[in-house]
Amino acid sequence: MGNSTRKQVADLFQFALILCAAVVILVPIYWIASGAFKQQVDVFQLKLLFTPTLANFDEIFRSPYNLHEKFLNSTLVATTTVIFAIPMSTMAAYSFSRFRLRFERTMFLMILSTQFVPAVVIVLPYFLLFRDLGLLDTRLALIIVNLSLILPFAIWMIKGFIDGIPLDTEEAALVDGSSRLQVIWNIVLPMALPGILTAAIFCFILAWNEFLFAVIITNSKAVTMPVGLSLFHAEEGVLWHLISAAGILIMLPMFGLAMIIQKHFVQGMTLGAVR
Amino acid sequence: MASVTLKGITKRWNEFVAVKDLSLLIKDQEFLVLLGPSGCGKTTTMRMIAGLEEPTDGEVFIGDRKVNDDLPKDRDVAMVFQNYGLYPHLSVYENIRYPLKVRKVPKSLHSEKVRQAAEKVQLDHLLERKPRELSGGQRQRVALARAIVRTPTVFLMDEPLSNLDAKLRVTMRAELKHLQHELKITTVYVTHDQIEAMTLADRVAVMDHGIISQLGPPEEIYNDPANLFVAGFIGSPPMNLMKGKLNYNNFQHPNFSISINHKANLEVATLGIRPEDLILCSAQKGVLQGTVYAHELTGESTLTTINVGPDRLTIRGPKEFKINIDEVVGVQFEASKCFLFSNQTGERI
Repeated sequence: MGNSTRKQVADLFQFALILCAAVVILVPIYWIASGAFKQQVDVFQLKLLFTPTLANFDEIFRSPYNLHEKFLNSTLVATTTVIFAIPMSTMAAYSFSRFRLRFERTMFLMILSTQFVPAVVIVLPYFLLFRDLGLLDTRLALIIVNLSLILPFAIWMIKGFIDGIPLDTEEAALVDGSSRLQVIWNIVLPMALPGILTAAIFCFILAWNEFLFAVIITNSKAVTMPVGLSLFHAEEGVLWHLISAAGILIMLPMFGLAMIIQKHFVQGMTLGAVR
Repeated sequence: MASVTLKGITKRWNEFVAVKDLSLLIKDQEFLVLLGPSGCGKTTTMRMIAGLEEPTDGEVFIGDRKVNDDLPKDRDVAMVFQNYGLYPHLSVYENIRYPLKVRKVPKSLHSEKVRQAAEKVQLDHLLERKPRELSGGQRQRVALARAIVRTPTVFLMDEPLSNLDAKLRVTMRAELKHLQHELKITTVYVTHDQIEAMTLADRVAVMDHGIISQLGPPEEIYNDPANLFVAGFIGSPPMNLMKGKLNYNNFQHPNFSISINHKANLEVATLGIRPEDLILCSAQKGVLQGTVYAHELTGESTLTTINVGPDRLTIRGPKEFKINIDEVVGVQFEASKCFLFSNQTGERI
């Protein structure tokens, strides 16, 4: 076999692999996307041609589903979580990155180790805690839970970006006349911004998709979108056409964020220092 | 304008002592170079002046003011870093303007001052660029302009030329010297490059293991080294050092002996002589004999390395000089050009 033939085969093989991966990832999305516009009877038929309808979207916003309330809950919970998580984790990450603290390694390991605990293990203590505090079925409870899940991850991620900022740059700013806070505001934040934005988007996605705690802690007022989806198990079976429509609503913000993340992620990788 | 005084400063990290009880007076408007190998404590000393490092012990004065407890921003110093320390997200203009901005200099003066500083380092046509769009030499100029945009009391420069290529380094060296002459600002300059030290300094402080080994004008450091460390560190190529025995007026090397006007009697001593003070001659006429190990042309002169018993000597000769490897040659030199060191203390005797 000649070199060029071998290369052709290799290319073909590569293409086939990419195609397989794409099919595995895209088919479920296609199935949901098409299902959202199908009538209930058409959902399980694999025909490509069907009469599209917007009735599913109309139905999910009406009683008993009221998905707009869940959408609002999810948006408020995820946004508030990120609004609190990012400044807190940025400050913590800066301290871990720049100051030599007592028990620094231990503290950092402990923060990271919270990520190794399976969520199922701590869901019951949380439930009891919130019950005693009278916070069951409130957005505040969900925000607290999400913060506890997201902060360690955000600290770890942002610390990586701050570590990449050369110390020289900060020291130059200190000698130039800045206070420590000015250094953070004028130098560190702008330089770490792509990283911080990336972390913010990841955190939003985590909070948006969080299911386990939401399903245990909420039952009517504070129910979020992922939990809302489970409402479509009705007596007449699983209402796939409605689940699909709701699924589209859950996915849309994610697609938007994925696009932004891509841009900033590349920026975050290439910004770097001037040497 | 002000002097800088260090009084018995020490910097320790746990067991490691970076700077040991160092005292130094840097005069107003003086260009002082801290010279030494890496790890000798020179950068730590400078960082303690800047306030980026806190002395474990001792006092730092800028002018008459004790600054130990002052933050870097309150010490009125400007610093140029080895890696420039530029702000990559800001344009050259904004980089240079930054000290004015954070020190609350009236806004109406900014553009004039930035332009003046940029002109001094020939950067005025690049003000809109980002640092990543500049060459190494241009970045170094931005760092310099940022340091001179306001008039600081003291300039601190931490190996500012070490990231530049050899040719640019020579140009920038001259520019630095000129700039300091023009601005008349007390300057502390850290380097491990002895040529930089010799050419720039009013005085050189040669540092070794956290202490000042010798402090003096460059010509004194070169012509009158106080100890073995300075003798071996200064000069390119460095001074030739040979171990032997000092018997009153006679230095006895395993391969030769030479009369020297000295009163001491030492079992082990070191004789030092600069490459340019040795003259190659025929084997019979030489004070000592050796075989040629290598012969190099550096452009303006030649360097011939010969083996003499256990030692290797380098001799600087005229650029036309030619010789073959393994040839046996003699070397002449005057006893008055020799330096003698005690091996026990390392000091000149």
